[in-house]
Amino acid sequence: MKIKYNTEMISGAIFAILGAVLWFLIPTQVQTLEKTVINAQTFPRIAIGGLFLFSVGLLLEGLFAREKKEVYITKESFRSVAFKKELRSILFALFLIAYCFLVGHLGYVVTTVLLVLAVMLFYGARKWYYYAIPLGMVGIVYYVFKVLLRISLP
Amino acid sequence: MEQFLGGLQILMQWQHFLIIPLGLAIGIVVGAIPGLTSDLGIILCIPLTYGMEPTMAILMLLAIYCGGTYGGSITAILINTPGTSANAATLFDGYPMTVKGQAFKALQMALYASTIGGLISAVALLFLAPQIAKITLLFGPAEYFALAVFGLSVIAGVSNNSIFKGLIGACIGLFMATIGMDNISGTARFTFGSNRLMSGIDLIIALIGLFAISEIMMKSQYDPKKDHKTISASAITKDKITKDEYRRCRKPIALGSLIGVIIGAAPGTGGGLAAFISYNQTKQASKHPETFGHGEIEGVAASESANNGACGATMIPMLTLGVPGDGATAILMGAFMIHGMIPGPTLFKEQGNILYAIMLGLIVVNVFMYILGSGFTRFYAHITRIPYEILAAIVLTFCIAGAYSTNNRMYDIYIILIFGIVAYFLRRMDFQLVPILLGIVLGPLAEKNFRRALVLSDGSLSIFFTRPISCAFIVIAVGSVLLFAWKNYKAKRRVQ
Repeated sequence: MKIKYNTEMISGAIFAILGAVLWFLIPTQVQTLEKTVINAQTFPRIAIGGLFLFSVGLLLEGLFAREKKEVYITKESFRSVAFKKELRSILFALFLIAYCFLVGHLGYVVTTVLLVLAVMLFYGARKWYYYAIPLGMVGIVYYVFKVLLRISLP
Repeated sequence: MEQFLGGLQILMQWQHFLIIPLGLAIGIVVGAIPGLTSDLGIILCIPLTYGMEPTMAILMLLAIYCGGTYGGSITAILINTPGTSANAATLFDGYPMTVKGQAFKALQMALYASTIGGLISAVALLFLAPQIAKITLLFGPAEYFALAVFGLSVIAGVSNNSIFKGLIGACIGLFMATIGMDNISGTARFTFGSNRLMSGIDLIIALIGLFAISEIMMKSQYDPKKDHKTISASAITKDKITKDEYRRCRKPIALGSLIGVIIGAAPGTGGGLAAFISYNQTKQASKHPETFGHGEIEGVAASESANNGACGATMIPMLTLGVPGDGATAILMGAFMIHGMIPGPTLFKEQGNILYAIMLGLIVVNVFMYILGSGFTRFYAHITRIPYEILAAIVLTFCIAGAYSTNNRMYDIYIILIFGIVAYFLRRMDFQLVPILLGIVLGPLAEKNFRRALVLSDGSLSIFFTRPISCAFIVIAVGSVLLFAWKNYKAKRRVQ
């Protein structure tokens, strides 16, 4: 399958849809009692209206004024180095999402230690002190914030 | 003159020369940790000052404030994450300089420019405070809105690739700034029924997510076997600022300091806005604007001189009118009151000697900042030698702790991670993050004053064009956008 695209087309389309959805959400999400022309809805309308209009502009720029990349999607594409690199980014994002879910239940120290270990394994660190330094830093951060500065941590 | 000499006499006590470096050290450390700001540093240290005499107490807190503003540049330059919002503009050229192996040079320039900016600001506070306060009194809602528009015109300068992408970024930022409770009417906006979103999105949280987390994600494709080359210690610190670079940076530093003093003296603005405007003006005035954003030392000089240039100036409305210039000065105002000094027009009459001691002390703070910073710059520069896998884990640890501790809210951790992932995809789509940041920073200032100005003018937009200062800001903003467009057009023609 052959696809022709550029980043302007993709981002323009995404933000135009987002802008349109947010525009229609304004009456329900900003329920103001003000009767004046300029009210709590005015600035969100300016920002969201601008987002929609500029996104349409970007989409048109992408369609007519910018060069497009041609990509052939085959079974080989999923085995390519570029695809594997993208998977690495997605895996890293999954670590962060998992952290969000766990930190509320396990607390800062345990979850951050797990995150640090995951990050070190992700980069393939082999030396023991590579693990020791950031893990020690988790302890130092906990001590400085919680004990010295008396700032609470999850 | 009598008060001036009296102040000098108070300042010359030896204890003050010990407390200033201590305050600076605290400020630099706090400022350099993303998520901790000089505001927090001042708040945490106020209880320590209860037993001190007023001059000593205020000097310590002022040292934390100045040190924090400088300290934020260290992480902006080394790990692409500003320690405080005032250092966001330092990212443009500070981090690219680190990527080019010029971290030491960038750190040196940040310190040098911060010191000069801070000194000029301190002198302005000492000699021009009443005059500058009179000018800022002329600022009404229309002028503040025009000032915000002027700040937003920076977008044109940082959207080299596509002006549409820059404008979309600014709209996203402006939209994010509207999330939470509307300060004028109390209406909930885009909270989707969640009470946790009522207080909106904290600026420092947005900064950590947009810059730190997205930077770590951008480097997720880093391969330790191929990408990490151990740089020798001597190589890092060998690349010092040349005489020619000092000469080139003279103008940006002077301009930045001046902008810092003027913007800082206007209540409700602060060093972040001053740094953006200074960066933009320096880029426009430069004979080689195309080098900005790619590790141009003049860019670091422009932004750092402006944000520290605002430090002393934010005290001008506080001391002369009793109106704090930014968050940190609002906290400092509280500290003044705790120590029996009520900021306002009568302060100079009632506590003139102490006030002059503090204003003169601000000069000493900046001199000490240079001495202390010079000693440690070499040490900071070595951070670039740490293998990235270790650095990424450490930065994540600090970011998460910093984000949570800002407001003691779990959902701030969710926000930095969501912002980070979204910002990563935006960067992959060739979007610049600075317009989003500008929208978030300037959105509240622009909206509040836009609405107030239109109430005053019965809904007529003419108020922005009939008042001279407001009109001047708008004309300069439009002019600078057109100038950028013209320069870009000429550059494209030349390439073709």
